[in-house]
Amino acid sequence: MKKYQLGEFEEIVILTIGVLYKGAYGVAIKNEIETRLSRKVSMGAMHSALVRLEDKGYIKSYDGEVTNERMGRPKKYFQITALGKKAMEYAKDTRNELWRAIPKVALELKIA
Amino acid sequence: MMKTSYSMPPGFLLRFFRWYCHPKLVDHIEGDLLEVYGERLKQIGKVKANIKFAVDVLLLFRPGIIRPGKKYTSLNHSDMFANYIKVALRIIRRNKGYSFINISGLAVGLAAAILIMLWVQNEVSFDKFHTKADRIYKMFSRDYYNGSTDVWPNTPSLMGPELKQSYGEVEEFSRFRNVFFLVRTGEHRFNNRGAFADPAFLNMFNFEMLEGNHKALSNDFGIVLSESMAVKLFGKTSCLGETVLVNDGDNFAVTGVLKTLPHNTDFQFEYLLPWNYMTHLGWNRFQDWTQTNANTFVLLKEGTSGEAFQSKVQKIVQHHVQQGDGSTREIIAHPLTKVHLYSQDENGELVRGRIETVRLFSIIAAVIMLIASINFVNLSTARSEKRAQEVGVRKVVGAQRGSLIVQFICESIVLVIFAFVIALVLVQLSLRAFNTIVNTPLQIDFSNPQYWLYALIVIVATGLLAGSYPAFYLSSSRPVQVLKGIFKNMNALITPRKVLVVTQFTFAIVLSICAIMVRQQIQFAMNRDAGYERPGVVYNFLQGEIPAHFESIKNELLSNGAAVSVTRTFSPVTNIWDVSNGYSWQGSTEEDKNSKIFLQFGSDADFVKTFGVTITQGRDIDINTFSSDTAAVLLNESAVEIMRMKNPVGEVIKNESGEVLHVVGVVKDFIVGSPYQKVGPMMIKGWRNRYGSLHFRLNPELSQADALQKAETVFKKYNPEYPFEYFFAEDYYNMKFGNEKQTGTLASLFAGLAIFISCLGLFGLAAYVAENRTKEIGIRKVLGASTPGIIAMISKDFIRLVLVAIVISVPISFYIVNNWLQSFNYRVPIGVSVFLITAITAVLISLMTVGLQAVRAAVANPVKSLRSE
Repeated sequence: MKKYQLGEFEEIVILTIGVLYKGAYGVAIKNEIETRLSRKVSMGAMHSALVRLEDKGYIKSYDGEVTNERMGRPKKYFQITALGKKAMEYAKDTRNELWRAIPKVALELKIA
Repeated sequence: MMKTSYSMPPGFLLRFFRWYCHPKLVDHIEGDLLEVYGERLKQIGKVKANIKFAVDVLLLFRPGIIRPGKKYTSLNHSDMFANYIKVALRIIRRNKGYSFINISGLAVGLAAAILIMLWVQNEVSFDKFHTKADRIYKMFSRDYYNGSTDVWPNTPSLMGPELKQSYGEVEEFSRFRNVFFLVRTGEHRFNNRGAFADPAFLNMFNFEMLEGNHKALSNDFGIVLSESMAVKLFGKTSCLGETVLVNDGDNFAVTGVLKTLPHNTDFQFEYLLPWNYMTHLGWNRFQDWTQTNANTFVLLKEGTSGEAFQSKVQKIVQHHVQQGDGSTREIIAHPLTKVHLYSQDENGELVRGRIETVRLFSIIAAVIMLIASINFVNLSTARSEKRAQEVGVRKVVGAQRGSLIVQFICESIVLVIFAFVIALVLVQLSLRAFNTIVNTPLQIDFSNPQYWLYALIVIVATGLLAGSYPAFYLSSSRPVQVLKGIFKNMNALITPRKVLVVTQFTFAIVLSICAIMVRQQIQFAMNRDAGYERPGVVYNFLQGEIPAHFESIKNELLSNGAAVSVTRTFSPVTNIWDVSNGYSWQGSTEEDKNSKIFLQFGSDADFVKTFGVTITQGRDIDINTFSSDTAAVLLNESAVEIMRMKNPVGEVIKNESGEVLHVVGVVKDFIVGSPYQKVGPMMIKGWRNRYGSLHFRLNPELSQADALQKAETVFKKYNPEYPFEYFFAEDYYNMKFGNEKQTGTLASLFAGLAIFISCLGLFGLAAYVAENRTKEIGIRKVLGASTPGIIAMISKDFIRLVLVAIVISVPISFYIVNNWLQSFNYRVPIGVSVFLITAITAVLISLMTVGLQAVRAAVANPVKSLRSE
C-alpha cells in the first residue's frame, strides 16, 4: 500500500508550485514548466493535475487579484500544504533510496 | 486610451467551455485561458491563437474538470414536488368520498364562474375590435324635462357635417339610422332592417368586407349588403355590381358585401344605404337642430383629447336654437368603447347601464368560487387529525414549516386542476343552454393562449384561496404532541370552521332571496294591468301600397271576418317614437311649455275599440265621421293630471307652431313604455299625415291561424310586393321583460348552485362528525339514548349555524333587494314571506343533508362500533 500517491506529472506540477512560491497560479505554472523542462503543457493536463492534487489535499488554493489580461477573471494561487510537502519528500526519498540501491557497476557500464 | 484591445476568443468555444466546466473551476481556468490567449494573440496572430485556444478547450474536456452531471442539476425542488404530488394523488384515491365532495363542489363552482366570466368578457369586448375604437365617440343629447335630466343617443342630423367642418379635431364623422325597406331582386324580396350611413362609416368601423372596399358608400346609389343578405338575394357573396330594387322604387348597385357582423357589436343591419338616399326620398327636408333622429359618430384625430372636444361641442345645439325646445340641450361625446356598458344616465352623466349587470354577475362568480373554496377549507381542516400524523412525521425528519405549507398548497392545486378539467367538461356541456339564456353565442377559444393564461391564474388563485388556510393550520401542529396522540380539539364556541359555514350559507341565502325577489318583481310587473287588452292585437307597418289602399284593406279585413276593428297609428302600441313639448293650454304657465313633455301617439278611428282601452270621458277620435277630428286629441289620465285640467273635454291645446288641438276625450293610462315605470303623460292625436303602423284586432270567433290567413289574402291583394308580416303586441310587450327575465333566470340558477355547493360541504362535514363520534354514539345508545335523540344531537350543531346564517343574511338581502327595487317606479312590496320561505327552505335542505348522515350514525348497531379496540 502506497502511503502517498503522486504521479510523475503531478510531481512536476507540485514542484513548480514550490519553485514559484507566492506566484503560483495557472498560467505561471504552465510557463514555468514549459521553460524549465522544455516540454509543452496543455491547459487541460495541468488543470486536471491541479484538481487532483487539491482533491488529495497536497495543495490548497486561494483567490487572487483580477487583471486586465484576464478580462476580470480572478487568479487562483496554489500553495503546498504540509501533507503535500510530506508527499514530495516521500517521493524524493523513495527515489533517492532507489538511486542508492543501484549497483555502481550498472551505471558505469551504461555510461561507458 | 484603448491601446490594446482585449479581443475575445470565439464565443461558441467559450460558451462550450463554460457549459461543461465545473462551476467551482470555471472562473479561474477561464481567466488562465484568456490570459494565454491574449499572449498568443500578440505572438502568433489571431488565427493560430484561435486554433490553439480550441485545442486547449478540447483538452480541458476531461474528467475532473467537467461538471458532475446529477448532483448539481437536482439542486431545485423537483423531487420534493414530485413527492408532494404523489402524496396528494394517494390522499385523493384513499378518501374517495371527501375527494368527490371537494372536487365536484369546486368543479361546479369553477364551471359557473367560467360561464359568467365568458359572458362578462363578451360584454366588455363590445365594439372594441375596431382599430380606431379609442378615437371614436358617439354623440348623445342631454336635456331637462318634467323636472329631471334625460340623456338619449340621438342627435340632430345636421350636426355631423357641421362637426367635421368647424371642428379641427374631427377627422371623420358618420351618421347612422336604422330603417326597414323592402329589398328585392327578381323574385327574392326581403323586408329587413338596414341602415343609412355616411361614406366614412366603413372607414371608421372595422366591419370585415368580403367584397368591395371602404369607399362602397360614396356612391349615391350603391348598397352594401351583409353576407346573409347577399346569399339570400343572389345565392352567393360575390355579387358586386348586381342590381337590387330598394323601397320598390330605386335601383341600387351592390358596391360591397360585409362579412356577418360579429356578435359583440351594437350595430344591427342587413344592408347599408348611403345617407344621401334619405335626401333623395325627401325624408330630411325639414331638418332643424331641434330634431334628434340620427346616431352621430365622430372619429377624432390622433392625439386629441375627448374631454376637450366634449367641452367644445357641448353647446353646439344651443348655438343654433335660441329659444324653445332645444335651447337647453347639450351634446355629450361618449367614447365608443364605453357605449355598450354605460349608456344610461344618472343625473345626466352616462355612468349606468349594462355595467351594473356585469358587476352583479362578476360578484356572483366570485361568491360562488368563495363558497366552493370554503368547502375545501372546511373539509381539509376537519380531517386534519388524520393528516396530523403525517405532518408530525415529516416535521420529525426535518421538514420546515415552509415546505409543509408548500406541500398543502400543492395538494390543493392538484385538486383544483382535477376540478378545472371537470369544470371545462361541464362548461362545454352546458354552454349551449347558457347561450340560449344569455342570447349570445359564447364559446371557449381553446386555441387562444390568453385563455390558458387565465386558466392558469384561476387555478393558482383558487388553489391558494382554498389551500392557504389548511396549509397554515395543518403545518402549525406540534410534532411531539401529535405523535403522542394529543391534538387540538375544535370545540370552541366560535371556530374558523363555524365562521366559514355561516359565511357560506349567508352568501347562499342572500343569493336565493335576491333571485326570488327578482322573479317576484318580474311577475308583479307582468301581472300589472297594461291598460289595454293585448291578446289579439296585431300590427304591421305602413309600407309599400298599404297607405294608399288603407281604406280598402280596412273594409275587407272587417268584411271577411279577419278583424273586428282596424286603426292606423303613429307607431306600434308597444313603442313610442316621438315625444314633444312646447304646448300651452288654458291656465298653463311659461314653465309648463318647456318642461311638460308628452308622449305622442296617434290614431285615425276605432282606437278605443281596437286596443280595448277604457275611455273615461268624452269620445274616441274618428276622423272619418268628424272631419275636424284631424285636430282632435285624446289625453291619458296622467296628461290630464299634469295639465291640472278639471274638465278636459272641450279644452284647447296649442303648440308653438300654431297647431290647435281640441280635447275630445280622456282614456285610462295604458303602458307603452317600460312596464316598471309610471305611465307618462300622452297625447293621442288624429293628425293624418304621420301614420306609421296599422293595428287590427283579430276576430275572436276565428282561430288565430284562420284569422291571420284571411288577413294575409287581403294584404297580398293590395300590397303584393311585400311579404305579409305581422307582429303580436303581446309578444313585444313580453319582450320588455327580457333583460330582467334573463337576470332572474341566471340569478336563480346561480343561487341554486350556491346552495348545492354549500350543502355538499355540509354533507361532508356531517359525514366527518358522524364518523368521528361513532364510539360516542355507540355508548350513548348502549346507555339508552333514542335514535331520534341522537339524530337531533348531531343535526343541532349544524342547524344552529344555518340559523345564524339566516339571521345575518336577512338584513343584507333586504338592503340589496331594496336598493335594486329603487330603480323601478312600479315595484313589488318586499314581504316577510320571502324571507320566511327562504329560511324554512334553507333549514329543511340542510336538515335533509345533515340528517342523512345523522340517521346513518344513529341507527348503526352499537355492538359494531364498540367492538373494535
